Amino acid sequence: MSASATWLDERRAQARERFAAQGVPHRRIEDWKYSDLRPAVEGANDDAAAAWSIRMRPDGVEVFDLAQVDAPDWVRAHLGTLPQSVMASASLAQARSGFAVRVPRNLAAGTLDFEWKGAGSGRALIVLEEGATLTLCENTRTVGFANLGVEAIVGANAQLTHVRIASRATAAVQVEEYAVQVARDGLYRAHLFNGGAKLSRAEFQIVLAGTNARAALSGVSVLADGAHADVTTHITHAVGHTESTQLFKKVAGGASRAIYQGRITVEQGADKSDSRQTAKALLMGVRAEADLKPELEIFADDVKCAHGAAVGDLDADSLFYLRARGIPEAEARNLLVHAFLDEVVTGIADDEMRKFVRAMVEEALPGAMLP
Amino acid sequence: MLEIKDLHAAVDGKEILKGLTLSIEPGQVHAIMGPNGSGKSTLSYVLAGRAGYEVTSGSILYNGRDLVAMPTEERAAQGVFLAMQYPVEIPGVTTLTFLKTALNAQRRARGEKELDAMSVLKLVRGKAATLKVTEEMLKRALNVGFSGGEKKRLEILQMALFEPKLAILDETDSGLDIDALKLVAEGVNAQRSPERAMLVITHYQRLLDYIVPDRIHVLARGRIVAEGGKELAHELEAKGYEHIVGKAA
Repeated sequence: MSASATWLDERRAQARERFAAQGVPHRRIEDWKYSDLRPAVEGANDDAAAAWSIRMRPDGVEVFDLAQVDAPDWVRAHLGTLPQSVMASASLAQARSGFAVRVPRNLAAGTLDFEWKGAGSGRALIVLEEGATLTLCENTRTVGFANLGVEAIVGANAQLTHVRIASRATAAVQVEEYAVQVARDGLYRAHLFNGGAKLSRAEFQIVLAGTNARAALSGVSVLADGAHADVTTHITHAVGHTESTQLFKKVAGGASRAIYQGRITVEQGADKSDSRQTAKALLMGVRAEADLKPELEIFADDVKCAHGAAVGDLDADSLFYLRARGIPEAEARNLLVHAFLDEVVTGIADDEMRKFVRAMVEEALPGAMLP
Repeated sequence: MLEIKDLHAAVDGKEILKGLTLSIEPGQVHAIMGPNGSGKSTLSYVLAGRAGYEVTSGSILYNGRDLVAMPTEERAAQGVFLAMQYPVEIPGVTTLTFLKTALNAQRRARGEKELDAMSVLKLVRGKAATLKVTEEMLKRALNVGFSGGEKKRLEILQMALFEPKLAILDETDSGLDIDALKLVAEGVNAQRSPERAMLVITHYQRLLDYIVPDRIHVLARGRIVAEGGKELAHELEAKGYEHIVGKAA
């Protein structure tokens, strides 16, 4: 990113300090207990710059290349300002490439489609001004070790729909941090598809900062032998009358590993907050593992928080019922796994995105159904 | 059509059926009555081929073939149908999709041509009306949010659609009020035919007022302890299971 700007140098220096204080996370750190990053990044080049490209850009949307100097005010105002986790601090400190997007007030933009490639660090900033809407379709195709940090500012009454596709990447270590702030009446929706990587970690820190701000997160992980996919979400209900939902489903074949850590914080005074979290995993592989960890931190009195997590095999009663109706076992299993995931996929309102995610699921499922 | 000889079956290593012998000819309707725990449901699961229901000795011949050796789905394709006591709910699979998938799987197994979605829909509609299975039910996820009566009606609709040779009805009456029961019984009676055998398993005599069997078998402690015509149901009703079961012991 632009080397000469003082404002940026300061934020990066602070980020570097935060990262240096904690170092590369390893499994003795509670938040990273299922994803041991330290051995995975050994020998990685710290200075590499991940490549990005915008493949589809809607009219009226402003894009700024973060490698350029003279960042506009809206970039200065927001870049690196949201709370940064340890790896987000690293991507902010290290990144030499990235982009920023601004959707002006009340613009109903269509879909912005972009991809990450190569190895190294990268940053993105997405700013939706008041009343703006955008569908952000993100494709993660990095190789080697990549650490990508994305910040999203969802303005009042704005709606950001974020579709993240990370197909199977056998040898890659993909770490991605999303920091999202939602203003009053704003909505942030995320739909994730994970095919897994050697190590894959997608962490979300979402702050519902204004009344009636909402976040709806959902995702499927469809993992074949050897794949790892860690989805970690932390939603903070900072004020009252805010709502969040999280629905995550995993199918884990072979010796794959599916992880979901979902923390919900309801801050003091954030009464009438409503949060629902569901995480379920189907273990198809005999050596597959799923770790589902809900966590509630509630400091307000009048809130609704419901969560449930379940790990298991396909339901024996359902399997018998289908077979007793003449459906061969393999087809019956297939039908039940599709049905299991479909609850998530049908929740994608955008027709094209839903079809796209469904196609990704179709492609990944055969591998994930192997023992 | 069905010939069960000295059948012993176990669940989790515990013997439930202890020497059951029974045979049914095409066109006949037989009823199996018995108290709770007598082995009625075990018999239905053994016939349908549920995993974990192990035949330890004896034999079951279905149209001359060894039924026990046939996989669950093959039994269905060859005309064995079990209307279940507790139809399962499967979120994410619509009822119509399920019906089409099952029907075509059976047809494929028999070497028949598969039907397209429109043909299946027409076929289903034709049978659904008399059983009061609505279009809306067909669009919903399988059995999800269905009332007890709706679930049982859907079981009978499947029976009408799959046209089995041997239909086993496991406690199809349990939990139904009298109107729902009549509707289900009419649906079953409409499917009585000279080619089809039925085995009606029930705890209560009430169902047999509506589906009148040719023969009644009383099952207790894993064996048939009494047999007779339809009048046996009334004797059971009047005197209770203890009377007959006790006499046989």
